[in-house]
Amino acid sequence: MTFTLILEQTFNGLQAGVTLFLVAAGLTLILGIMDFVFLAHGSQVMIGAYAAAAITQASGNFYLGVLLAIPVTFASGYLLEFLIIRHLYRRDHMEQVLATFGLILFFNEAIRVSFGPAALFSDLPHSLSGFVEILPATPYPAYRLGVIIVGLLCAVGIHLLVSRTRIGAMVRAGANNPEMTAALGINIKTLFRLIFATGACLAGVAGMMLGPLTAVQSGMGEPLLILSLVVIIIGGIGSVRGAFVAAIIVGLVDTLGRVFLPSILRLFVEQATADGAGPALASMLVYILMAVVLIFRPTGLFPAKG
Amino acid sequence: MSGLSQFLALAGDGIKANRLLWLLIGGFAVFPIFTHFADLPFWNDVAMRIMLLGMAAMGLNLVLGYGGMVSFGHAAFIGIGAYCVGIGEFYGLTNGWAHILLGMIVCGLMGLIIGYLALRTSGIYFIMITLAFAQMLFFLFVSLEQFGGDDGMSIDRAEFGLIDLYDPLRLYFLIWVALALVGLGLMFIVRSRFGVTLRAIKSNESRIEAMGLEPLRFKITGYVISAVICGLAGVLFANWQEYVSPDIMHWTRSGELMIIIILGGLGTLAGPLLGAIVFLLLEESLPMLLGAVAPAYAENWMILFGPLLIMVVLFGRGGLVGLIATRNQSTSNQKRGKAGQ
Repeated sequence: MTFTLILEQTFNGLQAGVTLFLVAAGLTLILGIMDFVFLAHGSQVMIGAYAAAAITQASGNFYLGVLLAIPVTFASGYLLEFLIIRHLYRRDHMEQVLATFGLILFFNEAIRVSFGPAALFSDLPHSLSGFVEILPATPYPAYRLGVIIVGLLCAVGIHLLVSRTRIGAMVRAGANNPEMTAALGINIKTLFRLIFATGACLAGVAGMMLGPLTAVQSGMGEPLLILSLVVIIIGGIGSVRGAFVAAIIVGLVDTLGRVFLPSILRLFVEQATADGAGPALASMLVYILMAVVLIFRPTGLFPAKG
Repeated sequence: MSGLSQFLALAGDGIKANRLLWLLIGGFAVFPIFTHFADLPFWNDVAMRIMLLGMAAMGLNLVLGYGGMVSFGHAAFIGIGAYCVGIGEFYGLTNGWAHILLGMIVCGLMGLIIGYLALRTSGIYFIMITLAFAQMLFFLFVSLEQFGGDDGMSIDRAEFGLIDLYDPLRLYFLIWVALALVGLGLMFIVRSRFGVTLRAIKSNESRIEAMGLEPLRFKITGYVISAVICGLAGVLFANWQEYVSPDIMHWTRSGELMIIIILGGLGTLAGPLLGAIVFLLLEESLPMLLGAVAPAYAENWMILFGPLLIMVVLFGRGGLVGLIATRNQSTSNQKRGKAGQ
């Protein structure tokens, strides 16, 4: 367990964290402002990843793929809100769960029909496939570093948008009290649709960036969806700041836990038990974290309301 | 004797009030006769799956429909029940009655712990924390390599004394008896003082509190009962499937259970069973239907199923039971109207 390994895994955790944040940022506003349980947010990740991979394959240019996929995901989110989601705001949570579950089934199957069941693999462009020395003699993949930087830039951008602009003030007001915001003459329907499309777009960006790191396949968004729900609950529903802090915590805990928990356990119990229990405990770690947070702070770390 | 006659009178009242439920359960009792003469043994298998999922959904409905607690993690209890069989056999416990007892006790305890912790929250937070607990258990079983991990473990059908489960009909009727008992039990629970209080908590929790009752206690009790029912379904599920893997408690199955309930009718006794029938018949028939129109896409039936679910939410309020009830009402209204003319 060298210092290099710890540093490398911390960076991996950061990369997982900022990716999670991109998915969770939109979702926390959808849950918080619209009080809408949107389970198909993982499908937006998948749509983004497929759009980028398909355009990259067709054009042969990675950057073009990423650039063109952004408007595609924005449009898909906008259309989805217009066609289906806006009819569901007034329904109870259970019906929202059911309908968006139906959306997941549809999107996963539609992708399977149009792209086939096999996973797509997109190669990295030459300029991003090398290594960067983050410390002397500590190389780190350039692409992962790029993901961290893009994720952090997005986070700063979202933070400025929410805390410094007029639209951001409307969003914050909406998270705090949607009825009163509407009563003040703010067109909450348009606001909803824009948040929804922007959220879809951010999830799509996460998908695009994950594409070269993982397999692009049908159903790839669901594990991310579940994890980002955990992030949102820990951070407090409706709070972008909470989502960021929680995403980084979850990303680090999950990554570092998987790598180091078995060896840490070995210090306390005998090796066979540690090897058996380590991976089990590591994969449960984030859920244990969430349960503990909820037991002591039932509305998350940074509640948006009240 | 008066106790027994009182019980019978109560049961009779309940059966009269829930005719649809007992019609369905009765239908399952005679279904094997039909499949025997029509020579369709495959459909016995489908019927068993319907009864098992219906049973679990009936259990979940106690908290979801009657108690208004949207639990998104009940598949975990099915999984715990199923693993009680698998792990029990692993350690040499082959008696099926013992599995049932073990499964129900373990699920009851887990339900108590999870319910106690999760019921401190409400709304979306409750949905998510129940999901989190289910995920925790899912990953626990994925990583338990000695019990098969990701691949799961195969199971010998348990010994139930004189009942040899390798005779498909005996397995069928064991499941049927369990279903009928669950139906009977839930019927009494829903009509009891406890059931009425649970429904009252759903509609106005603070008023119940003001009346001097402690809502949390009722909610946890309901949660434990529903967990135990799902555990029973899980034990039988493992015997039916002769195999158990973490897949049985995947979060999509919790979603499936909710779909079944909403499809059939929330907070009704017959709803979950009716929902299970329709859900699984769709699952069986959509591939065939799609295969007849576009053979290449037969396995992509979910592309129809997903939008169908959305349609159910958008246009079908009250589920199938609601649909049947309003039709009956409107026909009887029509009759009354005609008599009046």
